[in-house]
Amino acid sequence: MVRAIRGVLVECDPAIKSIIVNIDRENHDFVIEDLDEQRLVIKENMMEALKRKLEDRLKETQQEEEASDSN
Amino acid sequence: MAVATASSLTLSDYLEKLPGTSFRRLYQQPSTTLAIFRRMLPSLAKSFVRMLLYMDGPLLLDTLDTMVVPDAKRQKDQALAILRALHVVQISAAVRDKPQEVVLTANFRNSFRLALEGGGRQNSFGVPSEKPVAAGIDVAFLDRFARRKWEDILHYVVNSVGLPASSSSSSSSLTAAAGHDASGPTKTVKELLLAGKLVEARHGMPGGVGITQMGFTFLLQAANAQVWTLLLQWLEAVDAQGHGHGHGNDGASKVDSVDMLSFLFMLSTLELGRAYDTNALTEPRRNMLPSLMDFGLVYIPPHDRTSQYFPTRLATTLTSSGGGGGGGGGGGGGSTGFRSVRAGFAAATANSVTAAGLPGGGSGDNAKGTILLETNFRVYAFTSSPLQIAVLALFVKLNQRFPGMVAGKMSRESIRRAISYGITSDQIISYLAANAHEQMHKYAAAQHRPVLPPTVVDQIRLWELENERMKSSRGFLFTDFETAREYETLAQYADEIGVLVYRNDKKRHFFVTKHEQLVAYLKARKKADQA
Repeated sequence: MVRAIRGVLVECDPAIKSIIVNIDRENHDFVIEDLDEQRLVIKENMMEALKRKLEDRLKETQQEEEASDSN
Repeated sequence: MAVATASSLTLSDYLEKLPGTSFRRLYQQPSTTLAIFRRMLPSLAKSFVRMLLYMDGPLLLDTLDTMVVPDAKRQKDQALAILRALHVVQISAAVRDKPQEVVLTANFRNSFRLALEGGGRQNSFGVPSEKPVAAGIDVAFLDRFARRKWEDILHYVVNSVGLPASSSSSSSSLTAAAGHDASGPTKTVKELLLAGKLVEARHGMPGGVGITQMGFTFLLQAANAQVWTLLLQWLEAVDAQGHGHGHGNDGASKVDSVDMLSFLFMLSTLELGRAYDTNALTEPRRNMLPSLMDFGLVYIPPHDRTSQYFPTRLATTLTSSGGGGGGGGGGGGGSTGFRSVRAGFAAATANSVTAAGLPGGGSGDNAKGTILLETNFRVYAFTSSPLQIAVLALFVKLNQRFPGMVAGKMSRESIRRAISYGITSDQIISYLAANAHEQMHKYAAAQHRPVLPPTVVDQIRLWELENERMKSSRGFLFTDFETAREYETLAQYADEIGVLVYRNDKKRHFFVTKHEQLVAYLKARKKADQA
């Protein structure tokens, strides 16, 4: 039987996607469906939380870049 | 895209949610059908309506197909989908042996014919007032009135920004200035802004409110879209109250959002600068007038509150641009009329269409442009309007202020901050383009280059991209199809009506932005299969 599931389609590059999958691994409460290398369907009510977590992860790796082009 | 959550309410979204019965009532008014036709339909859909209007019987869908070149099948399906969603046409269900037919819905056909032929009840297009018009109430006066009212509202939203400390010098003087010359919108308007989540209650802010993401999007919208955002908010508030009270009135009569919408459509067909008879209106509509005056859509002369009202340009141009209906071309005359007043709206009223499409074209606009943008990201604005300065401060780090001029610089930091508010790079760019100074246009024309320095435009886009690592769109995943055929037909249909975003044939699932029509399609198919 056909099903229609409400969610948010997220398109991003593979690196970001793997971080999202990694975040999801803790509790499995973000991802509804893993579509392909660059796409995921995320629960609608979890988008904001996901963005925050992703931002936190990215901050850890992007510190230098921010400093270098601040002029 | 990335800030899909921040997109504000549009007219087409609102209409699509209405039930068919509401449309039947809306279409009893010729003015409504005309407004829907002008504002909401793409040009191919308009052609279909014109063609069907004086046809005696229904038209075979196959015949319609043959009239459209094969390449335009997609546009045709989208046009039909819009016409169906707005209940302008009916298409008979697909049953075996009986070909599908398309026909205009009865109310729409009758009313639209009346609108074109000018017959029927005069009421639908307003009754002009017989009384003499007071001296001094002319088009210029009405424009001034509407502008003041609307700027008050924008001021209120802008002042709730609470700019960060870096630009405190300009923001403090700005709040002071605004506090002096603007009395602010009325309480009902403030409540609406709150209810619409354009601002939210926040401590330590001027006026106790702070702007939201939707508020920022609102500020950078074209004026016409802003008006609709607020009006729809109003309608929703009335819907939410059920049969609640009229805004600020005695509330004895029941307020009904369908009738209100119909009234707004009627206002949009009235003539600017003319007095209309208040007594010809029904009581609920009369009760709407004070609120409409708060928005600046109508003017009621103080010496004669009960018998006359004047629509302002904000009202008469409500349905002028085709922006709301999925890219249809609107009534050209109306939208140019609006531009002159828009130029007067000192700020926050950039029209992205003119900005992107006509560099140097609309001279009436550009004469008022105030912004100089240099390739080194410096921005100079020749303005003393607190409104425009506040809007600029959203994405420019302003560091100098002179009488009649501010100067600042765009940086990665300032753009990223704007984007974190929910403003998109496109909004910033179109705002800059629409408000570019005459000198920018002259220079660009002489050098045969775009008005805005391409390096700056590209950099703004890049800054946004690096901030938004993912593109998200809300919608529905269709999955678990039993047969390949079932999957194939539904996915193709979704593509044709323009809601498909992603499909994976191997896994047999696809993602769409809307699901209502697909569900209806599935049901109809199932029925047809059983029959």
